[in-house]
Amino acid sequence: MSDRYDLAIIGSGPAGLSAALNAKIRKKKFIIFGNKELSTKLAKAEKINNYLGFHGKSGAEIKDEFSKHLEAMNISITEEKVNNIYAMGDYFTLMVNEKMYEATSIILATGVNFGKPFKGEEEFLGKGVVYCATCDAPLYKNKIVTIIAYNKHEEAEVNFMSTIASKVYYIPMYKETVEVNESVEIIKDLPVEICGDNKVNKLKLKNSEIDTDGIFILRESVSPGQLVPGLKMDVNHIEVDRKMKTNLKGCFAAGDIVGIPYQYIKSAGEGNIAALSAVSYIDEINKK
Amino acid sequence: MVNIVEENEFKNEIKEGIVVVDFFATWCGPCKMLASLLDELSLEMEGKVKFIKVDVDNSAEIASENNISNIPAMVIFKNGEKKEMIVGFTPKEQIKSKIEPYLQQM
Repeated sequence: MSDRYDLAIIGSGPAGLSAALNAKIRKKKFIIFGNKELSTKLAKAEKINNYLGFHGKSGAEIKDEFSKHLEAMNISITEEKVNNIYAMGDYFTLMVNEKMYEATSIILATGVNFGKPFKGEEEFLGKGVVYCATCDAPLYKNKIVTIIAYNKHEEAEVNFMSTIASKVYYIPMYKETVEVNESVEIIKDLPVEICGDNKVNKLKLKNSEIDTDGIFILRESVSPGQLVPGLKMDVNHIEVDRKMKTNLKGCFAAGDIVGIPYQYIKSAGEGNIAALSAVSYIDEINKK
Repeated sequence: MVNIVEENEFKNEIKEGIVVVDFFATWCGPCKMLASLLDELSLEMEGKVKFIKVDVDNSAEIASENNISNIPAMVIFKNGEKKEMIVGFTPKEQIKSKIEPYLQQM
């Protein structure tokens, strides 16, 4: 296990990136988790006219400027998916597949792409509904597994599961061509309801039904309430004060995940505040 | 935290006072995280609250009698009576606030 970071930033959209800049300037040891593509939402935006200093630019152009800024500051993004974060009091433990990281403080900047749960999803979480393939794979050895994924990245997990489960059904929720092992049965239909009694036993789709033991739902990000147990949410957003502090000591949040308006410049501003709040917190902890 | 395995031992331990039982398994990651928090709490609340743990793989009956289906799970007992169950990893301060009301009513 590696050394403890001062700060871990989860999310590489404008909020996370802005936080990373400030952490770098304040010379804190930090790690930023996300995507080298930064933010799919930003990349797809046609025209953004209210980001100060960038007029008439497309999302892709602004994204490129962000990338250049990061490069100039020598900031690199760690492309690993954080599955859970445990608030241990004076530090946080981040579970990333088989790895574990530690950080004195964290900034949650995961955006609002975590999707609406399917009917039955929350009810069967832990009873057949899974968000982390690597974590729970052994429990599904020789069982039937259905995987619903929102990103082509996840095809690696699908192939991995096909070596463990007795059968894998794959429901891709993205447009790109699907390239997975031959043994995987691809279903082009929309999931509607997750059913079972004590545990999951069936998935109802719009035009069909499948018997299954496990349902792996691989979205871009997990809802913060699931990601960080004990975190106070306000319906779909993380509750923060003006300093971007959450109810958990050392845990801050910024960007779309803390609320409306969903605007890039607001996210960048909040990332800045969250980072500076984290820096004060780190300095205070280090004094003890 | 003392690890309780036998049914009789368990009944004896929860009989009197406020007892918090930590149901865990050795292969469960969040259980390990929680264990260190509960160790800290048991020191902080020493004399007022007892903390014990039960491995659900070794003591399946105790686990099923207490309706444990997801781990980690913490059950608060008062004088032998099950008062509350907290499922999943929970930050220390939040666990403490759940236990404290039972101390008031002593």
